[in-house]
Amino acid sequence: MRLQLSELGVRFGERTAITGINAGIDGGRIIAVLGPNASGKTTLLRTIAGLQLPSQGSVELDGARVDRMSPHDRASKLAWVPCVAEVAGSFTIRRVVELGRYAIGPSTTRVDDALARVDLLDRSESTWFTASAGMRQRTAIARALAQRTPGGMLVLDEPTSALDLRHLKLMGELLRQCATDGDIVVAAMHDIAFAMELADEVLVLRDGQLVLAGETHAVLTPSSLGDVFGVDLAWAKDDAGKRHLVIP
Amino acid sequence: MRFRTVLLLVVLGLLLVAAATFRILITRGLDGGLSFSFPEEQYLIYRLVPLVSALIVGSALGVSGMGLQVLLRNPLASPWILGLSSGAGLGVMAIMFAEHSTGMTFVGGQTIGAVVGAIMSLVLVYALSRRRGGIDPMSMVLVGVVISVLCGSGIMIFQHLVPMGLRGSFTTWLMGSLPEIESWQRLGILGALVLGCTWLVAWWGPTLDAVCLSDDEATSVGVNLPSIRLRLFLVSSVLAAIGVILAGPIAFVGLIAPHGARLMMRCSHRVLTIGTAILGALLLIAADDVRQLVDFGTGRLPIGIVTSIIGGLLFLVLLVRGRGRV
Repeated sequence: MRLQLSELGVRFGERTAITGINAGIDGGRIIAVLGPNASGKTTLLRTIAGLQLPSQGSVELDGARVDRMSPHDRASKLAWVPCVAEVAGSFTIRRVVELGRYAIGPSTTRVDDALARVDLLDRSESTWFTASAGMRQRTAIARALAQRTPGGMLVLDEPTSALDLRHLKLMGELLRQCATDGDIVVAAMHDIAFAMELADEVLVLRDGQLVLAGETHAVLTPSSLGDVFGVDLAWAKDDAGKRHLVIP
Repeated sequence: MRFRTVLLLVVLGLLLVAAATFRILITRGLDGGLSFSFPEEQYLIYRLVPLVSALIVGSALGVSGMGLQVLLRNPLASPWILGLSSGAGLGVMAIMFAEHSTGMTFVGGQTIGAVVGAIMSLVLVYALSRRRGGIDPMSMVLVGVVISVLCGSGIMIFQHLVPMGLRGSFTTWLMGSLPEIESWQRLGILGALVLGCTWLVAWWGPTLDAVCLSDDEATSVGVNLPSIRLRLFLVSSVLAAIGVILAGPIAFVGLIAPHGARLMMRCSHRVLTIGTAILGALLLIAADDVRQLVDFGTGRLPIGIVTSIIGGLLFLVLLVRGRGRV
């Protein structure tokens, strides 16, 4: 599977949210979308997921425009995880995860597997209203896992913002597993160190424009990121030279 | 379906039968005393017609309220609060006034007036509540109240325009009352419509579950949001209009029945729709039972007043129990 963004732009009235974005992403890769607040990360992800119509350009998945796919086709090829999941009904966590199979067809095995992978199987009968922010975020991720077709695409908007350290590590492993299965994984992140550890490539946005793109360790440097975020950055590596600590 | 859910549905069904039996048997004599006996054959119809009407209206309002709550993702949505009932009432009043002014009888006029009034109200509320491309729940309730007040003013204008003798029947209709005389054919058609609409909503149950997610999430799992919203919009309006056609504006049933069913069942909308329909009918028949028990010496209370009192108190209980998330 290949995701192709061509001259992608989105406008909301007079305001340009993103403009002139070009990128090509192959299956099996994890892409981190980074950038300051209001730089257009969520708009880019929503457009990639077919939830926002582009004002110009296109998003194509294996040559098919995402915004022209039927809801069923899109649901079978890509799964979306929002920054904050919302559920208005009195549902259990299991029911929320089951909704990921809405268009594709029910599968208890897939739902159980997804719940187990985000460490929620034993809490699956808890109600959504009583769930913590972290549990809700894991539920949304589990729903996407239950929905995803291996070799498809996962689009996640800050999927780890409410997670504790153990679940952050678990989520990193999960996303890597999805990429190993051939998925394209595109995720907006604010945790630079986590992005550096996890992502194969990065897309860095500022004011709606793509200012940095490429292999993570080639593109991200204290000076390049410092320019984008407008702060002096320093970072250190652990003894193994793998894990980063990014200090503003 | 889980055993607990099946059990709850059975219990609700039994309560419905009990309330209906009570309605058939309870008799208030000329001296004002209450007694229980099977009515004589010539009086039976005066108990069966309101009973069947309550069954139809209660289910219609309950399912309509549930549909609106899902459609607008707003727990306060109901045909009454969103102005559908008063919109339908205005439509009925306009037809009644036209019939009075012209001396003509329009076949199916009140039905058409109620449906058009309900749909127009919902369209107005929906259009005026849009903010940044989405629906703002708080704006929706406020706009609904305003539309309700405006439709109420329109109804009062029609009331003012008719001769004094007709005002009494207009006022009684506005308080909400179950008919004691109604053709079985009309009840059959309206009942079949309610049954059909309830079946449709139950059939859409899994989609309604998915619609409870945010717009982005619902779309991402494969829901065609514009399509299901339009369908729910139409079905909820038709159901609310049927309620108004038969019984006038009845408050709170459309709000309480879906919440009560949700609190008891916590299940998919497919089953919830059935539970809501039974609970809506039960609430209205129980309100009619209460109406038979209360006598202030000035005739029986209009059922709309009873549902307002019972529904208002129940809603307060739900609010306190659910700490605002009913």
